[in-house]
Amino acid sequence: MSEDDERARRRAELDAKVPIVDLRNGAKGIATWAQTIGEDLHPAALEILGEARRISSKIDDQTVTSIVIGKNAEKHADTLISHGADKVYVISDDRLEYYRDLPYARAVTEAIKEINPEIMIYTATALGRSLAPRCASRLHVGLSADCTQLDVGQYISRKQNQRFPTAFLMIRPSFGESKLATIIGPWTYPQSATVRPGVFRPLEPDTTRKGEVILFTPNFTDEDWKTEVLSFENEADRLELDKADIIISGGKGIGKDGFVMLQELVDAIRENGQKVELGSSRAAVNAGYISHDHQIGQTGKTVHPKLYVAVGISGAIQHLMGMQSSRKVIAINTDPNARIFSVADYGIVDDYKNVIPPLIEKVKSGFKFNFENV
Amino acid sequence: MLKDLHIVVMIKQVPVPKAMKTKADGMMDRSGKSMMNPYCQNALEEALKLRDKVGGKVSVVSMGPPNAQQSLNEALRRGADEAYLLSDRLLAGSDTWATAVALSETIKTFVSPFDVLFAGLQTIDGDTAHVGPQVAEHLGLYQVCYVDKIELLENSLKVRRLIEGGYESFDVPLPVMLSITKEANTPRGPSLNASLKAVNKEVKIVSVADIGLSKEEVGLSGSPTIVSRVLNVVINRPPVMLFNEKTPQESVNKLLETFNSAESDVEVS
Repeated sequence: MSEDDERARRRAELDAKVPIVDLRNGAKGIATWAQTIGEDLHPAALEILGEARRISSKIDDQTVTSIVIGKNAEKHADTLISHGADKVYVISDDRLEYYRDLPYARAVTEAIKEINPEIMIYTATALGRSLAPRCASRLHVGLSADCTQLDVGQYISRKQNQRFPTAFLMIRPSFGESKLATIIGPWTYPQSATVRPGVFRPLEPDTTRKGEVILFTPNFTDEDWKTEVLSFENEADRLELDKADIIISGGKGIGKDGFVMLQELVDAIRENGQKVELGSSRAAVNAGYISHDHQIGQTGKTVHPKLYVAVGISGAIQHLMGMQSSRKVIAINTDPNARIFSVADYGIVDDYKNVIPPLIEKVKSGFKFNFENV
Repeated sequence: MLKDLHIVVMIKQVPVPKAMKTKADGMMDRSGKSMMNPYCQNALEEALKLRDKVGGKVSVVSMGPPNAQQSLNEALRRGADEAYLLSDRLLAGSDTWATAVALSETIKTFVSPFDVLFAGLQTIDGDTAHVGPQVAEHLGLYQVCYVDKIELLENSLKVRRLIEGGYESFDVPLPVMLSITKEANTPRGPSLNASLKAVNKEVKIVSVADIGLSKEEVGLSGSPTIVSRVLNVVINRPPVMLFNEKTPQESVNKLLETFNSAESDVEVS
């Protein structure tokens, strides 16, 4: 037996002596919040449901319950079941047509109390990031934000002499660096996390799956409804970064003029009938060259297009987090040591001013990116 | 009509982006160069704008190491009326829950009653966006997050928030917690007038004992979540194929040609 094996064996022996602690107090299974936009499901609702289904195999009770709230919310029950839910709690009320924090928080927390899950997953969208902390606070439980990986595994605290065999492991990028932090909280239940949209893939729908639908009525109070919805402005011209096959993304270095040039490239590709959007790094947004909704990365959107073209982007880890699962990456940067080249498939070391004009010319003369083999 | 409001702003001091480092225990190293969190600057700006319209006062509250006074002094020089810093070694290791409990108690003890509580949408170091809504829940406030527009109504506020697919506008009663986006405004810098007034003001530093919490309720022991481990990110991708022909035009042509003829992993007959 090698020294390493011997050390591992001794370690396992010591670990086994740490007593198992179970503070779940009857909490079991996983619940997710299925976010709606208007009367539609948000795509991330099915992503987190799929991930809940995947990690459920690692805990004792594998029931996955989805909570869906809104006007005519019951119509989503079948979709949720076919995408992995065993039970759907439906809270349907005409007054829930538009999002408001207090009635939504009431609905979710009361449903959670009845379901009593050991794990609760929310989407880390604009609404999820408003709702989840409100709910977690009301339930007196911990909450981990913007996770990009989820798992279940053993956590041992030698100091506290506690062993949790199936702790919820909530993994997120740490600030400003290329590190991933695992957050745990097996002391309060449900262990709760928000999860970044775009990170997980939904399950393939299986319409033969059976599930139970529970119509749930929370005890709303007058206080819950005091915030009045005055209007809802639909942003018709909303970007579809998550649906684009190609994303052309610019960094701070290319300046305002650079973004004008990239827009021209985007327009030319679109003219050719390919689905394309303009993206950016956080630094370019902060510098005011482009609006926040174009931002890709840890604090922006996570995307996985077929082709990601990074122009003048150095490749801060926060940015890489948001685009590294793109199928192919082309990087254009003057600095051959720029980090972006470490995640790129093809690259040109040159100034964007020299590279983008001939690229626009090629596209205008009919060049189309071929994704058959991508 | 809304008049003479007491407006409270929660402010966090954060490391400047280039100085952000995680310590071995997963906590942020706060010993380097720091600044007022950018989103908190937008929150402060909304607070000052509101006070300038309706009168009243702006109190700023922060939790952090003693050097967080810098950001609070900055807030005073921009026009805030009072500043409180909760600073105590017992607070080390606080997660968002424990932070929200400590800030809520500080607000209850020193700056209540109030009409509007402002928070930045999120911080640039933690990026959680949790603390605003968590404090709102502890204090039983109405809340609207992701706010980018505020208008006065008779006895309430009209606020607009960003949501997926558009914007929602609300008539929201007071007291309310509003978390503010970066698009809401351009923060002002320090003014001469406010700076002169700030000379006579002092940031009040308070401890955990002053807000009536026990050491079990704060810091690491008051936190329901902890960082259990930190790993380096490994990126697995084949090395990049660089194109360096005689002219950029030729490089582009070669790259596009290679891209479109890339071999598939799947057999095509």
